[in-house]
Amino acid sequence: MKQDSGIRALGERLRTRQIPLGWVIIAVVLILLIIVPFAWKGNPYYVHIVITIFIWGYMATAWGLVGQSGQLSFGHAAFMGIGAYTTGILYSQFGVTPWLGVFPAVGLATLGGVIIGIPTLRLRGVYFALATFAFGFIILMTVKNATYIGPVYIGGGAFLSLPRAGEAPAVFQFESKTPYYFMALAMLAGIVYLSHWFNRSRMGFYWTAIRGDQDAAESLGINAAKYRIRAMLISCALTGLGGAFFMQYFRFFSPQKVLDVSQSIQIALIGIVGGWQSVFGPMIGGFIMVPAAELLRLNLRAFPALSPIIYGIILMLFILFMPKGVNEPFMRGLNWLDRKYWRPSQNANNENNEKVGRQ
Amino acid sequence: MTEATAITEAIVTGILLGGLYAVIALGLNLIFGIIRVINFAHGSIMVIFMYLGFWLWYLLGIDPYVGMLIVVPIAFGFGYGVQHVFIRPMFMREKSYVVEPLGVLLLMAGFDMVISNSALQAFGARVWYVYGSAFMGTVHVGFLTMSKQRLVVVLVVVLLTVGIHWLLNHTNLGNRIRAVGQNREAAAICGINVHHIYALTFGLGCAVTAVGGCAALPFMPITPFAGMGLALRAFVVVILGGLGSIPGALLAGIIIGVMEIVGAHFTNSSIGSIIVFAIFLVIIVSRPKGLMGTIEV
Repeated sequence: MKQDSGIRALGERLRTRQIPLGWVIIAVVLILLIIVPFAWKGNPYYVHIVITIFIWGYMATAWGLVGQSGQLSFGHAAFMGIGAYTTGILYSQFGVTPWLGVFPAVGLATLGGVIIGIPTLRLRGVYFALATFAFGFIILMTVKNATYIGPVYIGGGAFLSLPRAGEAPAVFQFESKTPYYFMALAMLAGIVYLSHWFNRSRMGFYWTAIRGDQDAAESLGINAAKYRIRAMLISCALTGLGGAFFMQYFRFFSPQKVLDVSQSIQIALIGIVGGWQSVFGPMIGGFIMVPAAELLRLNLRAFPALSPIIYGIILMLFILFMPKGVNEPFMRGLNWLDRKYWRPSQNANNENNEKVGRQ
Repeated sequence: MTEATAITEAIVTGILLGGLYAVIALGLNLIFGIIRVINFAHGSIMVIFMYLGFWLWYLLGIDPYVGMLIVVPIAFGFGYGVQHVFIRPMFMREKSYVVEPLGVLLLMAGFDMVISNSALQAFGARVWYVYGSAFMGTVHVGFLTMSKQRLVVVLVVVLLTVGIHWLLNHTNLGNRIRAVGQNREAAAICGINVHHIYALTFGLGCAVTAVGGCAALPFMPITPFAGMGLALRAFVVVILGGLGSIPGALLAGIIIGVMEIVGAHFTNSSIGSIIVFAIFLVIIVSRPKGLMGTIEV
């Protein structure tokens, strides 16, 4: 086996099938996604849908970090909304470019995580889920009912919009959708890689141990509260970042759009359909649920209440019959293809096989 | 009107409002304390039975207080069925030592979406209300004016609290319910049919909620999502009163009601509800088992 890392060596390893099928599929999907905005240049609507998939896949993956440590957040829209409102207000009222505004956005979202996470993640059971729900509700009520917080105008539930600046990279505004597309793709790829990296790190193994059996994990000296709080804070910071991007892309915001309970449930639903304790699951959930939601929305315009009913039924069916989400059968199928057809000769002592299968 | 009078009135109004919170929290607390399931759909379930009470009144002219006799058994059967069909498989699947499966929380959130939006689809977003039921008018005590219908709710919740307390502590069924709540493995070993008790408890919780819903019907307008705000406060009441503590729910309901109204008196109504949730966070931080709770966390 050659060890040098040139293109030829890569081709050789691909030809002799030393690269796991999972990585090959990831590479192919990435290349396809890079082609998408150029292939659909005349169809900004499709590009928009793919960007939406990326955004929600990103949110669900960030949400999934809490799931990896064995807890369930019902208020992630609050952190998304904090990120969105912070950058939006900083730009529209104080003229701070979003490139800088994103830092206070992430900071405030993390602060929210500190307020909720540190007291409640020390407790077991359902308190955390309830507290995140309550926190989301407090933030929603505050923003809905207050017109000003100090000198800052927050609209009291009205729609706020960003001033248009045309093609202005300095304030993160572009005429075409392509820059947003690549930004969103980079964010999604980045967060999935980060999630994968965490999952492989020492902390990730702690998370797995804690969600498997907290008593057993603690008996081995793992400080469960500490690692859960870390998962929560990382998740909040990344969700705040996502909210900032959400804001810059849609250019207008209201409590209904970024803070509502239904948005929290949307994030959770995507994560659960994908697989809420896995690395790739929430992203896969985004690729399934966002187009499905869009199709529902287009076809059921006459019955606006019907699509939440269908969401609810999907949620219940997944919890009852496929609690690990589509990720589990997906990974099992991938593993099977890999073993059976891609690398039939070397499955015996190749640890990568197991790695792909375990997620 | 002096300031002292105004505050006294706010406190009395708060107690009357707290009675409503307490009656919703009672059912929630039964389910929460025994099955250890957070019934996210509790508010929507209440709204469904309020609609039932409303249609009984609207179509057949049955007074909501009398309609309870029809609505409550249906609510009991409904709760029994929900537990038996949806939640039981979750418990069967989980490992025995998992006492609070988080999946059930999500399941009930999904159930909530289904039934509240079904109500929206079926009855529309318009506001329905009952007028002309029994106990109209007000009572005057000194300088205070109280709505009779709200007083009835407080009376109902006190009676229900006493009744459920008696049921849990002085009957054979109550012993079995508490046994299952304390340790379901041990209860099963003693020959108690755990899943039957769970379903009975869930049914009982729904029935209590239906009583509260029907009693509140004469003064509370119904919309498909009216239950959410009430159920959210009921969660706070349950946490404040203590998991599994029936008298705690009554006490906490009244405390929350008074806090909200008095808070709103000094600021405005949205700040009042924010205060309620701030209390919730403070309780979780400082005394997670609640004022009168017995379950250690």
